[in-house]
Amino acid sequence: MTPEDRDRVEVEVVHRVMERLGRDPASVERALFDTLYEERRRLETDLAATPAEAAFYDRLHAEAVRAGPDRQREALREVVWAFTREVSGRFDPTVYWLATKVVPPALDLLLNTMSPIRLLGSFPGGARLDDQVHVTGEVERLKALARAGTIVMTPTHTSNLDSILVAYAIFRMGLPPFTYGAGRNLFSNKPIGFFMHHLGAYQVDRRKKADVYKDVLKTYAGCTIEAGRHNLFFPGGTRSRSGAVERRLKMGLLGMGLDAYIHNLQAGRPRPDVFVVPVTINYQLVLEAETLIEDHLKETGRSRYIIEDDEFSRPRRILDFLNKLLSLHSSVHIVVGRPLDVFGNEVDAEGRSLDPRGRPVDRTRYVLSGGRPAFDRQRDEEYTRELAAAVVASFHRDTVSKSVNLASDVVFRLLRERNPGLDLYRLLRTGGAEPSFPLTDVYARLEDTLARLRDLAAKGLLRLDETLARGDPVAILGEALAHLGSYHRRPAMVRRGDRLFHEDRNLLLYYGNRLAGHAAMGGLVRP
Amino acid sequence: MTRDLDIAVVGGGAFGTTLASLLAETGRKVVLWVREEGLARAIHRRHVNDRYLPGVRLPRGLRATSDLHGLVPRAPVVLIVVPSEYFRGVARAVGEVLEGDQVLVHATKGIEVATFRRMSEVLREETCALKVGVLSGPNLSGEIMAGKPAGAVIASRYDEVVAAVQALFNGSRLRTYGGRDVVGVEVGGAFKNIIALAAGAVDALGMGDNAKALLLTRGLGEMARFGAALGADVVTFLGLAGLGDLLATCASPLSRNHRFGERLAAGETPERIKADMTSVAEGVPTTAAVYRQAVALGLDLHIVRAVHAVLYEGWTVPDALAWLQSNPAGHDVEALRFR
Repeated sequence: MTPEDRDRVEVEVVHRVMERLGRDPASVERALFDTLYEERRRLETDLAATPAEAAFYDRLHAEAVRAGPDRQREALREVVWAFTREVSGRFDPTVYWLATKVVPPALDLLLNTMSPIRLLGSFPGGARLDDQVHVTGEVERLKALARAGTIVMTPTHTSNLDSILVAYAIFRMGLPPFTYGAGRNLFSNKPIGFFMHHLGAYQVDRRKKADVYKDVLKTYAGCTIEAGRHNLFFPGGTRSRSGAVERRLKMGLLGMGLDAYIHNLQAGRPRPDVFVVPVTINYQLVLEAETLIEDHLKETGRSRYIIEDDEFSRPRRILDFLNKLLSLHSSVHIVVGRPLDVFGNEVDAEGRSLDPRGRPVDRTRYVLSGGRPAFDRQRDEEYTRELAAAVVASFHRDTVSKSVNLASDVVFRLLRERNPGLDLYRLLRTGGAEPSFPLTDVYARLEDTLARLRDLAAKGLLRLDETLARGDPVAILGEALAHLGSYHRRPAMVRRGDRLFHEDRNLLLYYGNRLAGHAAMGGLVRP
Repeated sequence: MTRDLDIAVVGGGAFGTTLASLLAETGRKVVLWVREEGLARAIHRRHVNDRYLPGVRLPRGLRATSDLHGLVPRAPVVLIVVPSEYFRGVARAVGEVLEGDQVLVHATKGIEVATFRRMSEVLREETCALKVGVLSGPNLSGEIMAGKPAGAVIASRYDEVVAAVQALFNGSRLRTYGGRDVVGVEVGGAFKNIIALAAGAVDALGMGDNAKALLLTRGLGEMARFGAALGADVVTFLGLAGLGDLLATCASPLSRNHRFGERLAAGETPERIKADMTSVAEGVPTTAAVYRQAVALGLDLHIVRAVHAVLYEGWTVPDALAWLQSNPAGHDVEALRFR
């Protein structure tokens, strides 16, 4: 993307947002004052706010109070411009193009800035992150489609490391960098912020609550897709708190693929197609597991707070985590799902949409109205719902279960069964009647569930990593214990003699939910 | 391919022919697909469907064909009306030529027994159509063909589908109301056939209006509980596809399911009755499918249980009725409240 492209995108974003806000004086006034209110309230507590920002909003507010409808609309436009420049301005086109060449050093920089000596010294046998990130699935189809059209990649989201690993996987597949929005807190870690910035990240400020700001973000994503830039976003919205794979997605951003597609068809652009590629990222251990499950339990059913300070903002913790992953030879599995069109149909390597029977479909016909491509809000929302259902199905099909998930699920279910009637929160805190279970019971359960998992995997309903696909129960439990005993503040469970002791039940709940919340396993997320 | 028709109706049984006739009468450009060439020719040339609507004069404007692949691409709206057991095969054939701009609607009241798929789910699995919908309601073919008015509901998640079908039936004897709850409308249309079997038996045994009202009301409750468990809105069952269809089907001796129930009450075996009925009584396979699904969902549906016992477990009708009356009565509508 050239600077001219960027300017065009910005102009288009402002134009579209203003069109949607309309010309009705009452609604313009409402949008303006709502935005000013939200922004000035944010400035009161936002430590990163600049005096210039405060002056900007104070001036607009003072003017707008006395102004007529025309001037109010102009003030609103000024705010929209400010938002748009902020979102897009973080994206430097020169750096973007350089990034392709600069990425490998950037990754080294990321790792090395934090503690080069410790890092190099502590990787046994010269292990590299490289060897432990496995990218599988529909890689070739993705590469082919990235040439034929614009990709919208939609990964599952469990950790802030997702952004880095996906960006890294994109680089390793030989694809150009993707544009994606990342929360402002991620940029607070300087080396990582630098790295993400270079891979096409733009900054999303979740403290900005105004609807107009959210609309600018959404529209920006849509306009960059139209400009032919591959996009990436996490359709679950935030990291899964419960540990389960996403089942509900945010429709707003997901719908921007269809929006861009229709705009492209109407404009007669040469490469109008937008392909949605679900991706799953599967860890044995999750960097922020403790914080996430705590948040889940605290806020089950309520609105969640923005986690400002978690494991991710402490570089040492990240380094420690990466070290543990490497020394345990723990793989991160990134699975590229089957590409979809914006209606949820599968797309083959030639870019043809297929119906559920595998027959080619002329997808342009879905958006025809009176023979021409047209928007239809109600229809398009339903199309996006269809797409979301297909993405969720893909997430579940391509989730890779691992020994930690299986062992946690088995032990947590034993806990629930041995303590009938005990409230979940008390069970989590006290551990119930018995602090441990006989290993024989655990193995028996593990074998049962393993058989079920292998059956589901054979049917293509989920995936298993090497250990679960081929290992025996002893090896599986051994691997799970090695992981659970190494990284977290305290081991989630420990083996002593012929008994298994559960120590951190929150973590068991968290890692077990990956299985318990899986669609093919009944899909019940606890609590 | 130009879409030169208004609608294609796929399925030349009694109801398919009736709907196509209604549309032809109001001047819509409609072509009916019939599997057998001979029957298609009879409808096309002589305006009669002696097999399914004997003695009925069909409108002159109604054309018919046995060429499905030639017909489907010509219509912006395709309406499938075939028995549920043939539904998937026909849907797959339609799917060979259907395109994404076309609206695909069905008016089949049943459930696929082997898979427990609703018909709209089968449409999604067998075609590229996203804009799908279901037409259902108290629509006895005989009365409609005799010139009497009726009402139906067209349900779809897509406003465009609802509007298109309403426009097609606008000005006809079939008042067509819109709806969103596809699951509820499909469950209603299938489920009422189970109750109709029981109603036929209750009528044949002369048990009176009180008993009949008891059966229908409790049956409606079971329908709503079952539907809600599958994701339907309970209120849908107060509409035409729930209560409406139940009333018509259970009151009328014209209904195949009702007749089937009468003969069960007279002591005939299900096999025998099936052997000499020309059209399918949808309630019979539906009972098997719904019963199995209810058990899987942990729902205790007494009337379904009783009908299943008579159809598939060798019970007599009096035994089944006695069993129903021996159950503790419990609450009236408590189970219908939202949990």
